[in-house]
Amino acid sequence: MKKYLILFFVFLLIPTLVEARSTGCKEGNCENGYGKWVYTDKTTYEGEWVNTQKHGTGLETWPNGYIYKGEFKNSEWNGKGTLTFPDGSMYEGEWVNGFMNGQGIFTWADGKIKSGTWKNGILIE
Amino acid sequence: MEIKKKDNIVKDFAGLMLVTVFVILFFTVLNSIFGQGDELVAKMKIEEERIAKQQKLSKLISSLPSGVLVTFDGTKNYKLTDELYEAVCEATKLIPQRAIMGANFLNHEAYQIYTNNGNLIEDTFVRWENNICIAGYTVVGPLNDGTEKKITVSGEALSFLSTGIDTRVYFIKNF
Repeated sequence: MKKYLILFFVFLLIPTLVEARSTGCKEGNCENGYGKWVYTDKTTYEGEWVNTQKHGTGLETWPNGYIYKGEFKNSEWNGKGTLTFPDGSMYEGEWVNGFMNGQGIFTWADGKIKSGTWKNGILIE
Repeated sequence: MEIKKKDNIVKDFAGLMLVTVFVILFFTVLNSIFGQGDELVAKMKIEEERIAKQQKLSKLISSLPSGVLVTFDGTKNYKLTDELYEAVCEATKLIPQRAIMGANFLNHEAYQIYTNNGNLIEDTFVRWENNICIAGYTVVGPLNDGTEKKITVSGEALSFLSTGIDTRVYFIKNF
């Protein structure tokens, strides 16, 4: 009986260990430098790190198809960057604290384009 | 002799009618006491139809490939036909965090509430409406200025994740 219990716990442990090995810093230096981090939900970030924060330029890919390529500051999308939506729509422009803020161009998947000044994700002018 | 025989036939017929009326009345009384017979049958029928539909959807979901299912061209992901899109929409109940975070890009107040309330979602919905799949969620909590607000964000569900067991909304297009 004891043997089966041990086997049961070992089988429970295996997926956890496999999961743990597939996440975290997979390449390079994810503290200070250039590295690739894989999150548990398979979001990946590959780019520059400063004091374990995403800082500088990098590429963040979400499992559901959002891709941000551009500048980061304190782990947030800050500066110039391009966000591609899962359907192919795209925003290219300025970001502040993870939101479209400043000058930018939004291109819908069907080709429609809107450009102007954005504030917290909304085109204002 | 002939008249007596006819009398007996009439009596038998009257007796039969009486018994029939009695049986009908008996069941009418029983029905009025325990009632809801037709209503119960109608409810059972609806429930049976619901279960049959659910089983059909479950069978369909398990036949789909695991991974991302999309409704648009231009990706390597599995593209849903119009018929499958509707079926997947009707079978889908869950909206994972990344889909919510994605929709929040276009709704700063929803993002604020979502962040301030510890990523709590009050309600989610996925429904087939006017030939499109509408998905959304409601967040309730404080904005950054402290005021309480309730916001519902919704849009067209354009992609799903099939886990082999269930399907989840993967992209809400709210722009």
